[in-house]
Amino acid sequence: MVDLLRFSKGMGNLYVQTVPPPDLNKNTEWFMYPGVWTTYILIIFFSWLVVLSVFGCSPGMAWTIVNLGHFMVTYHCFHWKKGTPFAEDQGVYNALTWWEQMDNGKQLTRNRKFLMVVPVVLYLIASHTTDYRNPWIFLNTIAFFVLVIAKLPNMHKVRIFGINAE
Amino acid sequence: MNEQISGGWEAMMLSFLNTLNLFMAAFDAPSVVLGFRIHGHLVVEAILVVALIYLFFQKSYKPPKRPLTEKEIDELCAEWVPEPLHPPITADMLYEPPVLESAAGPHTIVGGKEVVNFASANYLGLVGHEKIIGSCMAALEKYGVGSCGPRGFYGTIDVHLDCEEKIAKFLGTPDSVLYSYGLSTIFSVIPAFAKKGDLILVDEGVHWGIQNGLSLSRSTVVPFKHNDMESLKGHLERVTRENKRLKKIRRYIVVEAIYQNSGQMAPLDEIIRLKEKYLFRVILDESNSVGVLGRSGRGLSEHYNIPIEKIDIITAAMGHALATGGGFCTGSVRVVDHQRLSSSGYVFSASLPPYLASAAITSIGVLEENPDLLTKLKDNISILREGLLEIPGITITSHQLSPLVFLKLRKSIGSLKDDLVLLEAINDKMLKEENILLSAPKRSTLDNCKLPCGVRICVSAGHSQDDVLKLAMSLKRVAASIFAEI
Repeated sequence: MVDLLRFSKGMGNLYVQTVPPPDLNKNTEWFMYPGVWTTYILIIFFSWLVVLSVFGCSPGMAWTIVNLGHFMVTYHCFHWKKGTPFAEDQGVYNALTWWEQMDNGKQLTRNRKFLMVVPVVLYLIASHTTDYRNPWIFLNTIAFFVLVIAKLPNMHKVRIFGINAE
Repeated sequence: MNEQISGGWEAMMLSFLNTLNLFMAAFDAPSVVLGFRIHGHLVVEAILVVALIYLFFQKSYKPPKRPLTEKEIDELCAEWVPEPLHPPITADMLYEPPVLESAAGPHTIVGGKEVVNFASANYLGLVGHEKIIGSCMAALEKYGVGSCGPRGFYGTIDVHLDCEEKIAKFLGTPDSVLYSYGLSTIFSVIPAFAKKGDLILVDEGVHWGIQNGLSLSRSTVVPFKHNDMESLKGHLERVTRENKRLKKIRRYIVVEAIYQNSGQMAPLDEIIRLKEKYLFRVILDESNSVGVLGRSGRGLSEHYNIPIEKIDIITAAMGHALATGGGFCTGSVRVVDHQRLSSSGYVFSASLPPYLASAAITSIGVLEENPDLLTKLKDNISILREGLLEIPGITITSHQLSPLVFLKLRKSIGSLKDDLVLLEAINDKMLKEENILLSAPKRSTLDNCKLPCGVRICVSAGHSQDDVLKLAMSLKRVAASIFAEI
C-alpha cells in the first residue's frame, strides 16, 4: 500500500497537472491579473494629483473629491450594473452585480479584502485631511458606509429595501 | 406596498442621519481618558483599523448552498419515479406508413402501384426536373458528394457563395447564408439572436423546429393565439406595460408565413404595423411560401407588397418548393454576418453538399424562367378547394393561396389521437382503393402544438388538372363511406 502510494506519487510528476482556472467569467477575471492592485492605487493617486492641479483646491478637498468620485464610479460599476457585456455566458450572470460575480462568488478573498480596504483608507485620508469638518465629513462618511455595507459578505445577493432588485 | 417600502426607507434614513449627527458630534468633543485628551475621530479611526486587521485574518469561503439533510435526501429518493424513456407502445404506434419505391415526384410508386402523390411538399413540381438533375450531376463530377467540412473550415465551395448570392438576388436582400439542414435552419437562427432574458412572442401553432429553437434560445417565450392579431396586440400591449426592462432586452415576434400545422397565412401587413409600433423584430419562417407566394414566388413580402427589408430575419427550408435540401436565412448584412460566427448550425455543421447548392441555384433559375409554374400551382389549389367544398365531415382550414391544403374534421370525435386514427383510416382507404397518397402528420411527443391534427394535402404545379379533380372526387367518396360507418 505504501509502495503503491509512493509509486503513484512518483509517476504523478511525469504528467502536467491541469487546474481549472479559478474564474471563468471574462467580466471579472481581469481582476486576478498581477499588477491590478498597484494600478488601482496608482489610478487613485494620480486622480488626486489631477484634481489637485485642475481645481487648485486644498489637498483635503482633493481627497474628498477623489473619495466621492471613487464612490460614484465603483458604486455604479461594482454594485449597480448587473450582468456582463459578453453574450457567450448566455446570461447566467444577468441577476448579479460585478461585485457578486467577482472571484466566482467566493467571499473574503484577497481581492475582495483589497477592495474593502480601499474605501476605508480613502475615507480616513479624506476625513483627516479635511480636518473632520462638515459637510465634507458627512459626505465622506456616507460614501464610506454605502461602499463598505455593499461589500460585506452578509450582503451577498441581498438587495436591502429592494434597491436595484429589478 | 411601494409606499410602505419608501416610508420605511425614509424613517430608516432619518434615524441614520440622527445617529450620524451624534457620531459626528463625537469628533469635535475631546474627552479625557486616563489623563490623555483623546479626540473622537481617533476612536473611530482606531475602530476602523481594528476592523481592518480583523478582516485580514478572516478566511475566505464560498457562500454555502444549504446542504440537504439526511431526511430530505431520503424523501427525495423515495419520491423519485423514473420517467420512461418512451411512452408505452400502443396500437397506433405500430402503424406502418406507406413506403415510396421511387422519387417523391407528383406521381410515385407505393407497394408496386403508381399513385398520385399529395404528401410531398414539392410545390413547384421540380422534383426530378431534368435541369436540376443535370446541375446535380455536373456538381457531383466536379466537387464530389460532400464538402468535407464546416463553412469556416475548408467547407466553403464556390457554389455555396453563388447560391447565397442567387438567393439574396432573387429575394431582393443584401446577403443570405446557407444551412445544411432545412429544419435546423430556424432552430439555429433563433438561438443565434435571442439569449436568456430576451423576450419572444410566438404564434402557438408554429412547427416543432421553431419550438425547438425557442427552447434552445432560453429566452422568455410568450405564445399568442394562432394567427390572431388581436391576441398578439394584447400581449404586446401587456408586456410593454408590465416589463420595465423591455428596452434593455432583445424582443422578437416569431411567425410562419404559411403555417405547416394549419395552412393559414400570417397577416404580414398587420404584423409589420405592430412590430413598428411596439419596437419588436420579426423572425419569419418562409419554408412553405418561398417559391409559392407572390407574383414571382418571392414569398410573403411580395404577396403583401411590403418591402422585404421590413422583415428583420427570414428563414426557409429549401427542401419544399426548391426541391433540393438545406435551408437559408436572409436579412440585412448585419443579420447575415452575425450568423457566420454565432449560429451553431452554420459554424459547426459540415456545409451543404455542393450538388444541393447548385440544385438550389438551378431551381431558382427554373422558377424565374417559368413564372407560369406559379399560375399552374394557383389554378391547382383553387380547383382542389372548389372540389373539396362539399365533403362530409371534413372542412378546409388553410388559406386560399396556401399550397398546403389542410383538412380537419368538422367535429373532433374525442381526443387528438382518435381523430388521427380516423384520418389515417381515410388516408389508408385513399391509398388502397383510389391510388392517392395522402398524409396526416403525426405529432412528435416533443411537439407542443395544440392545434387540431388534420390531413395535409400538398398541391403541386406538377399535378395535372385530372390528378386534382380525381383527388377531390375520391376524397368525397371515401369520406362519405368512412363517415357512414361511424
